[in-house]
Amino acid sequence: MKRWSSILLAAMGIAAPLVASAEDTLRVSAIPDESPTELQRKFAPLAAYLGKAIGMKVSFVPVSDYAATVEGLAAKKLDLVWYGGFTFVQARRRTGTANPIVQREEDAKFHSKFIVAESSKAKSLDDLKGANFAFGSVSSTSGHLMPRYFLLKSGIDPDKDFAKVAFSGAHDVTAKWVEAGKVDAGVLNESVLQKLIDEKKIDHAKVRVLWTTPPYFDYNWTVRGDLDPKLVEKLKKAFLALDYSNPEHKPILDLQRTHKFIPTSPENYKSIEEAAKSAGLIKD
Amino acid sequence: MSSPRSARPWLLRWPGLLLAMVVGLSYRGSEGDFSALFTPGARKTLADFARGFWPPAHSPEFLSLMLRPLLETVAIAVLGISLAVVLALPLSVLATSPFTLSPLANRVGPARRLAQGAARLVLNLMRSIPELIWALIFVRVVGLGPAAGVLAIGIGYAGVLGKVFAEIFESLPKYPAEGLAAVGASPLKTFIFGVLPESMPLLGSYTLYRFDCAIRASAILGLVGAGGLGLQLELSLKMFGYDEVAALVIALFLLVASVDLASGLVRRKLQQSSGLLRRSLAIRLAGVGSWLVACLAAGVFLRFPISELLSLEAAKSIGTFASAMFPPDLSPTFLASIGPAIVETLSISVLGTAIAAMLGMGLAYFVAAGHRRGEEAQRRGRGPTSRLWVNAASWVARAVLNLFRTLPELLWALLFIFVVGLGPFAGALALGMHTAGVLGRLYSEVLEEVPSGPSLALRGSGATSSGVAIFAVFPQAFPQLIAYTLYRWEVNIRASAILGVVGAGGLGKALLISLSLFQHHRTLTLIGVVVTIVAGVDLLSGWLRRRVQESGTHTEDGRAGEWAGPPAASATAW
Repeated sequence: MKRWSSILLAAMGIAAPLVASAEDTLRVSAIPDESPTELQRKFAPLAAYLGKAIGMKVSFVPVSDYAATVEGLAAKKLDLVWYGGFTFVQARRRTGTANPIVQREEDAKFHSKFIVAESSKAKSLDDLKGANFAFGSVSSTSGHLMPRYFLLKSGIDPDKDFAKVAFSGAHDVTAKWVEAGKVDAGVLNESVLQKLIDEKKIDHAKVRVLWTTPPYFDYNWTVRGDLDPKLVEKLKKAFLALDYSNPEHKPILDLQRTHKFIPTSPENYKSIEEAAKSAGLIKD
Repeated sequence: MSSPRSARPWLLRWPGLLLAMVVGLSYRGSEGDFSALFTPGARKTLADFARGFWPPAHSPEFLSLMLRPLLETVAIAVLGISLAVVLALPLSVLATSPFTLSPLANRVGPARRLAQGAARLVLNLMRSIPELIWALIFVRVVGLGPAAGVLAIGIGYAGVLGKVFAEIFESLPKYPAEGLAAVGASPLKTFIFGVLPESMPLLGSYTLYRFDCAIRASAILGLVGAGGLGLQLELSLKMFGYDEVAALVIALFLLVASVDLASGLVRRKLQQSSGLLRRSLAIRLAGVGSWLVACLAAGVFLRFPISELLSLEAAKSIGTFASAMFPPDLSPTFLASIGPAIVETLSISVLGTAIAAMLGMGLAYFVAAGHRRGEEAQRRGRGPTSRLWVNAASWVARAVLNLFRTLPELLWALLFIFVVGLGPFAGALALGMHTAGVLGRLYSEVLEEVPSGPSLALRGSGATSSGVAIFAVFPQAFPQLIAYTLYRWEVNIRASAILGVVGAGGLGKALLISLSLFQHHRTLTLIGVVVTIVAGVDLLSGWLRRRVQESGTHTEDGRAGEWAGPPAASATAW
């Protein structure tokens, strides 16, 4: 037993250098719409860039639960979070002050794609009635909320008209499930689908797009409402200064799958809030 | 004790038929379809698994990625079980029968009765809600990370420990307490000097036993963001990184096995230390001391935010969360929508337990057969070569049981989702696999302990080995086997309530949705439903167990054996 505790003590020693005080560190997180290892890979160069721009240490807090990022911002355990439109709305409703500062230019006109296996006979959304269907995470904008909203608009109630509704938890998992035939159809965000096809993680010959939603506002970078305004300004400037023609910035933007960040504001998300209300995902 | 047969309704006179009907209904209720295991798709998935598992991921990069979550898993379990003991001790004292602490009193005041009832209620509530649900809640209340895991294990296990502690206090010899009470000691003093010293080794032993389980629990809490190994495992599984899955499973297996071994050693030491002898006291002191050191180390390693958790702000956030849940959502539309999920949950628990019983029995037979043959050969003085093959089968069966048991239900569910598709059947299979590992071990212990007289007599008259098993071993072991199976059903109903979190059917999905959408009123309703179902199954199973034990040949020799002996203790725990 003694030996065992000394092993733990040794482990403590290993961990000690990892301890950093909260004041000089910007704590950043992201909704886990892709696998956290992927998120960390995506974020590393951006963190280095932001750290230099604001003169602070930037640490990434990996998260496996959407709602927990909302609570994390509310409890002041996170300073800057990459939210989807719906999670931003939830965070705004929860805190009253969560403040979106920038988004990718694509996020102002975002789409979700309904996909089926290449061999599927479905030609329109209507043909999906009776199918096994996969959304992404319950809390996802492009993987759940907006698809549900548009399904309802075209007269399909997912809870009644699909044989089974599953939540895969993440966009890349949804695509994998459709490709492997674990579900008949699924829906995911266009940008992740494009990435999976580009990186050949999904066999383009096995999956086809059935329907694309109309555009809506999605992802943004949100700061907690009581973060020092000067720091917020620096962050905003740093994001907007990213330039695709600059060879140092290009890899950062490539990993974010965009060419440019643009300013955004809470008003842009009124329509998401309305959609969430009419889809019954939030109540007044 | 036996009631007249004619007084029972016809259905109860045929327990086998009733059981078959219940299992059949559960098969339907959980969308059971064994053929789904053998479709080309399933075969391909299984082949992919098998191919992908070998060789396990062993790049230094991945191994170092694994180290911290692995240590985190242990540290969460250490702190969690410690918190559980701290919470369980006072509650268990309150929940103990008042006559244990004031053995000479012939009446007990209403206040004491009320306190006992309240303590029992609190313990039951803590116990009925699965750790994963506690974790889902605490992740939202205290934020992400290990603190939520520690609290979840602490509260969930406090319920179990408290109940067992109270049983231990009540079952000890009463003389010391009576003696103290006779010279006028207060109930508290009677407890401290008359009850606690004698019960210490048992309390310690049972707590250590639960520590094994806490490690497994802590390994899956990562699934909901409460730290530990679970997160990495889920990711690797979902992204088809089977080599990583294999490495993680091996790591978990080694971890659980070594903790199992270590705690077994310590438990034996503890059981030897009895009374107030100086040597025993030294052993206990050393035990408690090194445990405290381990806690401290775990706390520092996790950077456990103890001041933050004890702050006013934390109390406020728990308060807001709890008050936001009231009143529960009892609207007819919502209640109607969770009806099918309730049926699914019950079905998964029954079918899963049935699958486990069959599978576990088969494996236990091989384990016990090896044991029996070994004894027999020893008696006859035969060399080791003749029993080599039986031993080999026995060891393989043992290894399979250990492997089944190592993976928690939720991780099995993630695997089966890919084989048979989403839905409750994957959940039932997952429950079946994990529980088979647990039950198989218990079954084999029972079979090994069956008195060998009848089997020797049959064997002497020329019976085959299967004949001996059917006519000599099983009839003697039957009541105990049934009792263990029913125990497991009680544990499994809790598990089946959470499998939906990963898409394997039941109430878990509704729970996850309500929490994700901040619909706290619904969360409260769902937790209420889970608690009610769990309580109902506990009652039913307890009643059935008593019936079986009454009708069986097996007699309980004292309550002490119920919880203190390793077999029974493991039954309630795994």
